[in-house]
Amino acid sequence: MLLGASAGSDLLRALVQGTPAGTVYALLALGLVLTYKTSGVFNLALGAQAYVSAALYFQARVSWGWPIIPALLVSVFVLAPALGFVLERLVFRHLRSASAVAKLVVTIGLAVALPAIFDLALGFHSIAGQTPVGIIPGGATVFYNPFGVYALSRNELMAVGVAASAMAGLAVLFRYTTVGLHMRAVVESPRMTELNGIRSDRVSSFSWALSSLFAGMAGVLIAPRFNTLAAPDFFNLVVIAIAAAAIGMLVSLPRTFAGGLGLGLLIAVFQTFLPRWSDSLPWLATVRENLTPAMPFVVLFAVLVLWPAIRRSRAASDPLAGVEPPPPAPAATTRSRGLTVATRVFAVVFFTVTGLVVFFRADASWMFLVTQAVILSLIFLSITVITGLAGEISLCQGTFAAIGAFASFQLVTHLGMSVLLAALVGAVIAAVVGAVLSLPVLRLGGIWLSIATLAFAYFFDSVMVKLSWVGGGKQALAEGTRLPRPLLGPFNMNDNRTFLGLSIILLLIVAFAVVRIREGTVGQTLRALRGSELGAQSIGISPARARITAFAISAFIAGIGGALLAIQQQNVNYSSNFSPFASLFWLVLVVSLGSRTVEGAMQAGAAFGLFDAVLLKGAVIGWLLRSPARIPSVFPLSGTWRFVLFGLGALQFARHPEGLVENGKRGATEAVDRWLAARRERSPVVERTTEPETAA
Amino acid sequence: MSATADEPFLQAKGVAKSFAGIMAVHHVDIAVAAGERVGLIGPNGAGKTTLFNCLLGVVPVDRGVVQLAGEDVTRLPIHLRARRGLGRTFQRIELFAEATVREHLLIAERTRRGDGALWKDLLGRGRPKADEIERCDHILGLLGLAELADAPSEHLSLGQGRLLEVGRALMTEPRLLLLDEPSSGLDHDETVDLGRTLRDAQIDRGFGVLLVEHDVEFVSDFTDRCLVLDAGRLIAEGPTGEVLASDAVREAYLGTMGTVA
Ligand SMILES: Nc1ncnc2c1ncn2[C@@H]1O[C@H](COP(=O)(O)OP(=O)(O)OP(=O)(O)O)[C@@H](O)[C@H]1O
Ligand SMILES: [Mg+2]
Repeated sequence: MLLGASAGSDLLRALVQGTPAGTVYALLALGLVLTYKTSGVFNLALGAQAYVSAALYFQARVSWGWPIIPALLVSVFVLAPALGFVLERLVFRHLRSASAVAKLVVTIGLAVALPAIFDLALGFHSIAGQTPVGIIPGGATVFYNPFGVYALSRNELMAVGVAASAMAGLAVLFRYTTVGLHMRAVVESPRMTELNGIRSDRVSSFSWALSSLFAGMAGVLIAPRFNTLAAPDFFNLVVIAIAAAAIGMLVSLPRTFAGGLGLGLLIAVFQTFLPRWSDSLPWLATVRENLTPAMPFVVLFAVLVLWPAIRRSRAASDPLAGVEPPPPAPAATTRSRGLTVATRVFAVVFFTVTGLVVFFRADASWMFLVTQAVILSLIFLSITVITGLAGEISLCQGTFAAIGAFASFQLVTHLGMSVLLAALVGAVIAAVVGAVLSLPVLRLGGIWLSIATLAFAYFFDSVMVKLSWVGGGKQALAEGTRLPRPLLGPFNMNDNRTFLGLSIILLLIVAFAVVRIREGTVGQTLRALRGSELGAQSIGISPARARITAFAISAFIAGIGGALLAIQQQNVNYSSNFSPFASLFWLVLVVSLGSRTVEGAMQAGAAFGLFDAVLLKGAVIGWLLRSPARIPSVFPLSGTWRFVLFGLGALQFARHPEGLVENGKRGATEAVDRWLAARRERSPVVERTTEPETAA
Repeated sequence: MSATADEPFLQAKGVAKSFAGIMAVHHVDIAVAAGERVGLIGPNGAGKTTLFNCLLGVVPVDRGVVQLAGEDVTRLPIHLRARRGLGRTFQRIELFAEATVREHLLIAERTRRGDGALWKDLLGRGRPKADEIERCDHILGLLGLAELADAPSEHLSLGQGRLLEVGRALMTEPRLLLLDEPSSGLDHDETVDLGRTLRDAQIDRGFGVLLVEHDVEFVSDFTDRCLVLDAGRLIAEGPTGEVLASDAVREAYLGTMGTVA
């Protein structure tokens, strides 16, 4: 009985311990639901908003020496709502009728760009490495022990108190104020149509400001739990908030709050009991240490896949579904034949010349960068398939690539397989994983599908990679996850030039295959499904089968690219190449340049691989001047700018969902066509062009 | 069990469906033989579209059984019912964005043949074959869409879009076509045209039709037999002329909808 009694008090302790975190998750989850319901935006940037407030508070306290109250007022009660308000006004108000995908991409862009922008503006890097402070004196040193099982710090008590008051405040607002009543009507209605007749702009701005306020509050309250302040930790918080919002089905605010609190408690309980269970279950012991940080993702994935209501909510996953305008047709379908040929010729000449220059004149570091850009282009073709063709936003392409890379590493290390064969087998394994993952995930549909892939990416990152049969375990920690370059008959790939040649050939093969798939039955089927799922089903197309195929193809391409990248670097280098964050970054980059075309993927590859070197470090100029030392210092840009530009790219995407490249091409072809037409027939043109417009 | 000549192709028994406690369809029995033209009429909200959705598998039934050619398909998903010969058009048009008129038919033809393996695409055999294009163009000719074969579907008028939906469904060689208010949004002339074209196609291909329609003239021209649904219940059934003339129908249907005809 002794054991039972101690388990009981341990449970109580876990519950007390989990409450502060739980209330903060609940706050964030409320913030998520508020904006989702009033503007249809599933705001993945909420964590970045929380981070910005927390960092400003910390900065004001520590670097500027402000007292608590003014620091709190400025960072939480001024900056946070203002940020929400501005985001709504400048960005999301104009995205009302944009697709769910466009909105998601924009919030991912903001999640990356916001911390970078504020870092550049306010110099947050100066507080890096220091331990954040709470919003009450002695927050981390004074403890209270209300139930005699666990001592809560002042900071933690403060978190519970503030979060509970915020919830109470929200309840009052919803009950007694006009704008509150309107918000509630919108938030709690199952569909957005109820927005008609209510002054939706005001409701929407107010919700964004309030949501951002909650995020800022949550950020400041949770910060003392971290050793240092880092934006990625805050992104992870959003993942938990998403799970809580999912439990509340994005409709019920009390249930959302309860969901957040409940998840906080659940995580604490697992943290308490997992070590004990793993004593008797050996397989648990190996993943124990990693399972704790992975809890949010495991929980999110479980909630998404198991929570029955979510599976039934396919149709409701986008409150604005049905008002999406159809995407504009690719430029290639509108432009004249001659112009198509001309651009093709130009592209071939351009790439040939660049290729020859790189091939015969570039030094080793250039060769490395260009090879990397080529391999990334190959990986990005996997996004062309899953997003451009199948219309699904997968946020785990980096994970598929990592599976390809790790599988080849394991096959080479343990079975002594030849590298290229291992890469192929690795890609097949990635394809199988992609197909298996798609089974539970595809039932979700829409935004939940993307979120589930995100959860999978993080789960892989925090649990799977640590397993020795995946990431190599301790041995790999000591020796690295090494992969040799292949020997292919007379070609020795240790020579960088030969390896670049191999990469280009593989890229061309995959690009060719993607074009054939796009034009073949599989592509047509996917296009039909995207155009109208009901219509496609009504002629006998199986949506599940088509999408599983798309996932498998996409994972295969990512897998072979991942293996190739690892071979190039002769090491898997998981965290710098394939982290979940990389997946997000890749996706936004590819869709903002153009996910529908092969060129889009290649441009994204070039941008990703060469941006730092070419733009930020001015390497081209250094190369032209034949000496890196003589690079003029006209580019005083830090790497942070990359994230800012990336965020702006994502915003641009919202305005031109077909992608920047497509959009530029369309503009250019239209201009050229107009010019050609004008040259052909001088005077009648004026009348001709005005006529149809007035008629229409 | 295989279908004999006099056995109905589609048979639904005791189909019931409710949404949030409201009975949209109330224990309905319905049977349509292959090649038969049947009308289904009823006031707004009578449950016609819901009944369609139950027959097609778009929503699961609460109770009841749906059979196609004697086979129980109650639990089958939409696409498998489609492959067993159940075609349809939509009340709110459901075309494939970004596809041309011919592509709509080609993909339907490809699906019907079950000829879409990935390796064939990779070997460059995924492009439409001559006989497939020929079949598409035959149907397009039948529907008077031949001129528009290469037009993007976004450029079609509503009436042409409806015809394209019919064409897309015909490519799957349906034994029964479910048409949900084909005339809605069309003016009188367009409706007459559509009716004529449908009739020609029906005579040419011999498929059965179950037609939901508010336009009484259309129904009486096109169908031989007619069912009347009111508040989820089947209230009348018989030869179209008699049913449309009966008092019960006038009361339930024309009483509220008198202006439509
Ligand atoms: N998905 C749904 N959720 C809730 N209620 C629904 C749903 N679909 C239909 N209903 C309800 O079921 C009833 C029947 O609707 P249905 O669309 O089948 O009627 P109908 O006969 O097709 O009408 P109409 O002539 O206007 O097309 C209506 O009361 C409608 O509000
Ligand atoms: Mg209807």
